[in-house]
Amino acid sequence: MGEAPLSWPDGNDRVPYWIYTDQGNYERELEKIFYGPVWNYVGLECEILNPGDFKRTQIGDQSIIVVRDAEGGVNALVNRCAHRGVKICEQDKGSFSEIMCPYHQWTYDLKGNLQGVPFHRGVKGNGGMPADFSMADNGLDVLKVHVRNGGIFATMSDKTPPFETYMGNRILGYYDRELDGRSLSLLGHSRQRIGANWKLMLENIKDTHHASLLHVFFVTFGLFRVDNDSRVEMDDTGLHTALSSIRGKQELNDGTAQMRSFDSNLALNDPSLLDVVREFDGDQTVVMQTLWPNVILQQQSNTLATRQIVPKGPNSFELHWTFFGYEDDDEEMTARRLRQANLMGPAGLVSMDDGQILERTQEGILAHPNEQGVVELGGRGTDDTDHMVTEVALRAFYKGYRNVMGL
Amino acid sequence: MTITPELRSEIADLANAYALAIDDGELDRWPRFFASDCLYKIIAKENFDSGLPLGLLMCDSQGMLQDRMEAFSKLNVFGPRSWRHMLGAVYTTGSEKEISARTNFVIFETLAGKDTHILCAGEYRDIIIREHGALKFRERLCVYDTTMIPNSIVRPI
Repeated sequence: MGEAPLSWPDGNDRVPYWIYTDQGNYERELEKIFYGPVWNYVGLECEILNPGDFKRTQIGDQSIIVVRDAEGGVNALVNRCAHRGVKICEQDKGSFSEIMCPYHQWTYDLKGNLQGVPFHRGVKGNGGMPADFSMADNGLDVLKVHVRNGGIFATMSDKTPPFETYMGNRILGYYDRELDGRSLSLLGHSRQRIGANWKLMLENIKDTHHASLLHVFFVTFGLFRVDNDSRVEMDDTGLHTALSSIRGKQELNDGTAQMRSFDSNLALNDPSLLDVVREFDGDQTVVMQTLWPNVILQQQSNTLATRQIVPKGPNSFELHWTFFGYEDDDEEMTARRLRQANLMGPAGLVSMDDGQILERTQEGILAHPNEQGVVELGGRGTDDTDHMVTEVALRAFYKGYRNVMGL
Repeated sequence: MTITPELRSEIADLANAYALAIDDGELDRWPRFFASDCLYKIIAKENFDSGLPLGLLMCDSQGMLQDRMEAFSKLNVFGPRSWRHMLGAVYTTGSEKEISARTNFVIFETLAGKDTHILCAGEYRDIIIREHGALKFRERLCVYDTTMIPNSIVRPI
């Protein structure tokens, strides 16, 4: 296999395959994207309700502790002792009053400040830290955090724009539609590892027309289909996308006639799965947002979730799903959300197909770094559209990606 | 009202027949292992331990079991594979009227052309009743320990 040229073909309607497979490119992505001027999603406030509650998560290859402090603030700390580099926290979630490294018992408060070093002043006049040892300079690495309506984001860079500027008004409007300031209630997590490049997951959500072809379940019941009334909207960078759609009918028309997977005779034995109630302003029944670089914020009918993408080298990523509702949901609504959660996750009636197909994509391209993918549906431009028979969001995405990566 | 050795062996037969039906790919038989009023749920141990209700898969009626079975069989897209359920001994408590059972499981998955891997490990927590003469699951919780599901779960477990 020859060395990949690591250059981009002309235009955004072709995507070279080495960006999904090249180790060097992956390492540059960590620096320029995940550790760079972006807001990484790290969780929801409803996962850490009380002072001392924490969850462990990841940004790029780095382990991060997200913890609520005594004053109610949310902190994101690098999970690495300032002393000898030990990964301090092994639990996925829990509660602590202070953070102590088990190796030499350096202790930190919930904001990451170093509070105690054993034998600091020596023992019987022997040893101890030098007189000029600075407790203040030896805390845990602290990330800048932004919380908006229950969503928690963190950044490692001083150059990251304010969160609102970073998202842009249009995307923020969709964000606030789902995370509208009401308290969220946590329904649970599911997690899967998919043997594919992390960008393919974002593409999968931005690629609006695959749902009409791959997902028989969606297609048949009109939950999400190219003939639905829809919009594809991007921010100015092209990196964030909001895709919204209104549920269609189970009918044969010129769209469904072209979908081999459409079955007008299929009926559910228990239709309660599709007992969808309208709960937001507007008619959209689906809003799928890809928020650069690592989260999908989604409403599909009444199931609400975030999908956090954790890259694991160029050829693999983890997908951490968090399903939630609102604190003011009644029992019936919670039951509905839990039933509709069957659509999503690692055994989802719909998303199961995606995990499978992404891995097959990676397998297909692995040996062909110098080949390229075709992204021409709906033309070659990058402007918003009022339909989803288009790959426009992919072109816009790669326009933005090339800017970030200097390609 | 105690659980006799005969009943214990009948319960073990139920657990084994269930696993074999799935491993043999006879998914159309799957709903029949459940009572008419039933709950089937695959749930991550992290959710189960924290009292969080989310299932990886949840069916709370015979109709939903049927719909899932048809989706697995006809609608979803996935490559060819073999499954092997490895079951531990069934531990039973309760009474003949309502039996509680716990059984450890490991599922090995072999994808065409690839190495065999562990799909998930965990335990069944069952409530079993007798309906029309046969033992049925009124409730079957599949609590799995596996932190990261390798890709997807494409059949009932």
